[in-house]
Amino acid sequence: MTATLLDEFELGLDAPICLTWELTYACNLACTHCLSSSGRRDPRELTTEECKSLIDEFERMQIFYVNIGGGEPTVRSDFWELVDYATAHHVGVKFSTNGVKITPEIATRLAASDYVDVQISIDGATAEVNDAVRGPGSFATAIRAMEHLAAAGMKNFKISVVMTRHNIGQLDAFKAIADRYDAQLRITRLRPAGRGASVWNELHPLPEQQRALYDWLVGNGEKVLTGDSFFHLGAYGDALPGLNLCGAGRVVCLVDPVGDVYACPFAIHEQFLAGNIRGSGGFTTVWRDSELFAELRSPQTGGACTKCSSYDVCRGGCMAAKFFTGLPLDGPDPECVKGHGEPFLASVAAGSTPVPSPDHSRTGRSNLVPITIGRRPDRACDTSPLA
Amino acid sequence: MTPTATDAVGTQAVGTQAHETVEDVIVEDVLVEDVSIDGMCGVY
Amino acid sequence: MSPEREASGFDLDGAWEIHPSVAVRPERFGALLYHFGTRRLSFLKTPMLLDAVQRLSSSATARAALSDSGVTPAETPTYQRALAGLAATDMIRERTAS
Repeated sequence: MTATLLDEFELGLDAPICLTWELTYACNLACTHCLSSSGRRDPRELTTEECKSLIDEFERMQIFYVNIGGGEPTVRSDFWELVDYATAHHVGVKFSTNGVKITPEIATRLAASDYVDVQISIDGATAEVNDAVRGPGSFATAIRAMEHLAAAGMKNFKISVVMTRHNIGQLDAFKAIADRYDAQLRITRLRPAGRGASVWNELHPLPEQQRALYDWLVGNGEKVLTGDSFFHLGAYGDALPGLNLCGAGRVVCLVDPVGDVYACPFAIHEQFLAGNIRGSGGFTTVWRDSELFAELRSPQTGGACTKCSSYDVCRGGCMAAKFFTGLPLDGPDPECVKGHGEPFLASVAAGSTPVPSPDHSRTGRSNLVPITIGRRPDRACDTSPLA
Repeated sequence: MTPTATDAVGTQAVGTQAHETVEDVIVEDVLVEDVSIDGMCGVY
Repeated sequence: MSPEREASGFDLDGAWEIHPSVAVRPERFGALLYHFGTRRLSFLKTPMLLDAVQRLSSSATARAALSDSGVTPAETPTYQRALAGLAATDMIRERTAS
C-alpha cells in the first residue's frame, strides 16, 4: 500500500523541503508582535563565509528554497551577495521584508530573476491599522516598495499579512491592495511567539472573527496564500487547501542569525532548539540526528484531542501556540474553534507560561513577559497602544 | 508509522513483477500526489 | 486497450521531458518534484516512476521510457495515468522538435 504524502511528511524527510532562515536580528522597525523579538543585531551573527557554507549544505541536501527573514534581512550589507550565491547554487530564495531597501533599482533586479521571490509585510490595509502594530511610517514604506516592484514589472510578488483582531475586517481591502500591484495576497496566523506573547491577549482574533476568516477563505481564498497556517480552522467544516500539517522538524525548520536551529520560527525557545550549525556536523547533522527532531518525527499522540471528530483535519493545531500559552502539546490549540482549549487555558497559572527567548528587542521596548491567560477583553475594539 | 489504510489498494513499490490479480489492475492506484505549498506551516 | 483509453489525452508515443523549472529530488519513497513557477509539489510514490520520469528526455517516446525502467504492460495504464497527472500540472511537457 502506498502511503500518502502526509504520512511520509509526518515521519520526517532526509532534508527539509524548504526552511526559514533568519539572517539577522537587526531591524529598522519594532513591530509589537515580532515573532523573533528582533531589533538589535547579535554580535555572534554568522559571517558571510559561514552563510555561504550553509548555502552549500542546502544545495547538497537539495532543499528547494529558503525563506529569508529576520529582523529585516536587507539591512545586512552582504544580503544581495548571499541571495545571488543561493540562486547560483540551485537554492531558490523568497525573502520577507518591510520594504525599507526596495528601491527602484533593486526592484528592477528582482523583476529580472526567476528564482527570487519577495514578500512585503503589512498588518493593516490602512496606515492607521498597520502603523499601530508596525510603527509610524511603516505602511508608507511598504506601499512605496510595492509601487517600485509593480513599476519594475515584478509579477506576483507577495504581500504578507498577519491576521489580528484589528485587521480581520480588512480582508477585502488587503485583496484590493494585492490586485492593485499585481501581487498575491498572503495571510498568516498570529502566534504568541516572541513579542507576540506580550500582545497576544489584545491581538489574537476573537472566536467570531476566526469564523469570519474561515468563511472568507472558503469564499475568496482561491488565489490567497496562507502559509498553511490556518489548518486549525478546518474544524469548522472542510479542510482548507494546502498541507494541513505542522511541518516543524519534519519538513521545515528555522536557522537563526547565530546558527541555532529551531523546529519552527514560531518556536524560538530552548525547548525547541535542535542544535547549532557551527557544530562539527553542520546543519545536515542537526537536521538528521538531533534528538528533538527525532522526537517530533516519531508518531505523535493526539492526547486529549483524539476523540474529537475534527482531529483528522485540525491535528491538534499549532505546537507553538500551545507551548507559549502554557497548554499541553498533546491537547487542544488555544484557539480551537470548538472551544476545547478554554478549560485548559483556564487552568494555566498566571505568570507560569514560557518566556520567549532570546530577546533581541531594542532597549526601551517592553520586556518579553509571559502571557497572562484569563483576562479576556470584553470588546473587540480594545486596542493595544504602541509602547 | 505504517501507512494509513487508504481505499487505493494496489501494486506495491518498485520491482513488483509478479502479479496481482486483475482486480488490482482495475482498482486505481494513484502514483502521483500533489499539493500547492506556500512555505507550509512552520515557515514564514 | 480500454485502460489505456482511460488515460487518454496523454500521448505515450510522444517525446517528453521534465519542465526546466522543476527540481527533482529522490526520496526513500520515490521522489519529490517542485515546480518553481507554480509552487506545486508533486510526490512520486515509487522509485520506478522516478526512473521513468528521469528517462523521458533521453527516450524517443514516453512508452520507451516506461519500458526501459521496468514497467510491465500490465502496469502501463497506471503509469500512463501518473504521467498524465504530471503533464496536467506542468511538471513534464512535450519536447519540441529541435
